[in-house]
Amino acid sequence: MKFEHCIRCTICVENCPVFSVEPKFPGPKQAGPDAQRFRMDGEVSVDSWVLFCSQCKRCETVCPYGVDVSEIILKAQIKYVEEHGRSIANYMFANTYNIGILASAFAPIVNKIINTHLVKNIMRVIGISTYIPFPRYHAFTLSKGRRKVGKASKKVVFFYGCYLNFNRPDIGRKIRSILVSMGLEVITPHQVCCGLPALGNGDLDSARRFANKNAGILVHYINRGYDVVYACTSCGLTLVRDYPGIMALPDGKKISENTYNVHEYILNLMEEGYVNPEFGPIDMRIAYHIPCHLRSLGIGYPAARLFEMVPDLQYQVLDDNCCGLSGTYGFKEKNKEVSVKLGKLATLPILEYAPDAIASDCGACRMQLGGLTGISTIDPSEIIFRSLNMSLSAYGGKKNMSAGGQDDKGDD
Amino acid sequence: MYDVVIIGGGLSGLMASIWLADRGKKTALISKGDPMCCLSTGCIDVFRGTSSPLKGIERSPRGHPYHLVGLEGIRDSLNFFKKIMAGSGLNYIGDIETNRGILTPLGTIKATCLVPQTMEAAYTGADEYIHIVSFKGLKDFYPAYITSKNENAGYSVFDAGISTTIGLATRFEDTTFRREFVAKLKSWEIPNGRIALPAVLGLSSSVEIMEAISKELDRKIFEIPTLPPSIPGIRLFRRLKYTLQQKGGDIYWGRDIASVERSDTQIEAVTIVTGSRPTRVEGRAFVLATGSFVSGGLYALRESVYETVFNLPVIFPKKRAKWFNEDFFDIGHPIEKAGIRVDRSFRPRHANLENLFVCGSILAFSDIMKYRCGNGMAIATGVAAAKSLDGWLG
Repeated sequence: MKFEHCIRCTICVENCPVFSVEPKFPGPKQAGPDAQRFRMDGEVSVDSWVLFCSQCKRCETVCPYGVDVSEIILKAQIKYVEEHGRSIANYMFANTYNIGILASAFAPIVNKIINTHLVKNIMRVIGISTYIPFPRYHAFTLSKGRRKVGKASKKVVFFYGCYLNFNRPDIGRKIRSILVSMGLEVITPHQVCCGLPALGNGDLDSARRFANKNAGILVHYINRGYDVVYACTSCGLTLVRDYPGIMALPDGKKISENTYNVHEYILNLMEEGYVNPEFGPIDMRIAYHIPCHLRSLGIGYPAARLFEMVPDLQYQVLDDNCCGLSGTYGFKEKNKEVSVKLGKLATLPILEYAPDAIASDCGACRMQLGGLTGISTIDPSEIIFRSLNMSLSAYGGKKNMSAGGQDDKGDD
Repeated sequence: MYDVVIIGGGLSGLMASIWLADRGKKTALISKGDPMCCLSTGCIDVFRGTSSPLKGIERSPRGHPYHLVGLEGIRDSLNFFKKIMAGSGLNYIGDIETNRGILTPLGTIKATCLVPQTMEAAYTGADEYIHIVSFKGLKDFYPAYITSKNENAGYSVFDAGISTTIGLATRFEDTTFRREFVAKLKSWEIPNGRIALPAVLGLSSSVEIMEAISKELDRKIFEIPTLPPSIPGIRLFRRLKYTLQQKGGDIYWGRDIASVERSDTQIEAVTIVTGSRPTRVEGRAFVLATGSFVSGGLYALRESVYETVFNLPVIFPKKRAKWFNEDFFDIGHPIEKAGIRVDRSFRPRHANLENLFVCGSILAFSDIMKYRCGNGMAIATGVAAAKSLDGWLG
């Protein structure tokens, strides 16, 4: 829906995390539909405050009239950055994928130095915040593992996303194992960044380059009867919303229609009667922080529906707060204060619930909330993996891959 | 497959969902964005005009949806509401026997039935001094409006460094800020009496915050509802949503319902538009709580009105010329009676659907502006429709 459909009810304003803590940001209504009336082609952008928007997309999710508030703002952000130039941090974060390739190639060295004082000081100089430790990089990424696991008539392509690939390949392997155990053939083809970091840093051209590369790969498999399954909810939202939307890929619609959240896919398999998994008990108390982009996908909270089937598992869904990190947003020094304030607000209901662990589908949410609370974090798929009493070696993973007590927090 | 799929995430849909989830039914709630109760004062208006909402309801026209619920049903539903709100830490005060007065930002007194505990100490007619504490730069809240109508009132302004209701409410969640605020107020040596603030005392822990400040200052304090963004409205919505999630209800934040699958006498599934592949939600029974025109449950064309999800038969004045009174500010335009007519079981009439139940402001003859019964009717019919549905499902 266009900006003209806005009736100025302020429900988006009520739900904007940045607006609640940053007086310089006028809120989604004003930054989006209101200001859009004054933005003309051929005129230079003047509203630098559009850059305060973290693209959490809560405004869009809560709008009762279906106005694409955050997309209006995103376009204004891209225009502003194109006209006024990019910072070093913008360049770096638009290319987290390329940095990930380098960092994982030199993982042992990178992990040693990334959280040292010297490196942190350099990062702050170029505009990168260091209030939560940087995640560890892994040499044995998902992109280097086996391409095809399992053999079955039902086939899926696994879109793992940069975070699982470079930082938490162990979770990626667990997800793949779950899918294989459910009688699927899982292909993990060569793939690149979904393009969201580039989009969020105002670089539409790079975003399209990434997207086009992925589109070629994914469509190749979709045409051969594969479904696409993603784990990272932000990558997922980019595939289903932005590929046909702002990136306007010719095959965007086809990708969007054939792409599923991993837990949504499992639920579908169960509903079709294709599988009937037996969930074992897990004696844990979980605060399930819903990533903004999962809420925005409009598919409900599929992992919560799976949690319900796990005996003894206690959990509470928490979806009122944005963790504040918003991908690369909080890693920028200029957004640090906003990000920390929002993060602390998001930790309040978590601390009140006093969980054993914080679950979230999004690696960035886990980094932020784990970093700020010191409580351990867990991907919902890890809970499912544990509940199904699985081990990685049985499903094509390397032996002892899950060992080592990994977490989303880096070493500090 | 869900037991019940509720379409509409407003007060009525939430109450129906919570009641059913409480009875162990597997529920899914589908909401197109956040509901209008987020923009409300957070108070539950049950019936306007009279000192007792109960008496007003008794005297209302027989066709009003309240009569389908019955007085005992209304009382039970409000008590159920109060019980779940108390359980979620957002206590509501009041009962169906009496309307109570709360102070508005215009300095007038608004009659309402149930109020959040933070408004309990609001103006009650006693001639006690009221000191208003406003915040620097806060728009649409001018204490001078109130003092111009109340001689025994004064005000001061606190600079919180942020000037929006949301920003202020967020700041009140922070104990350090609260300490600074209380210290400042103490230094002002405010005359004896009550202290009133715009409704910004925190987003989730308002009652605790109010009690803590009240204790520090050793006097009663209360909130005055503001224009949207309205914090008491958001608190109400979020606590209900949280309660539903605690009881295991699923929520789908979607867009429009794209399609409906029905057999001869039943709705079988609905499909939600999500921006990508549509999501299909199956249920044994359905609740329609999509609201009236402003929420998109009803849609007016030039000469007709239709219902947007199931295309149910809608009652409305046939001639467009009869939709509105001459004077825009007249209370009770005939179009406000438009809606879905239901039978005693809350099933839509003339639709031949046995597993669909309708509640909330989409009901015909509710005339919400005229009777100021929006939130009260949402609760009463939401619970009543849920009970009827539960009886049918068994």
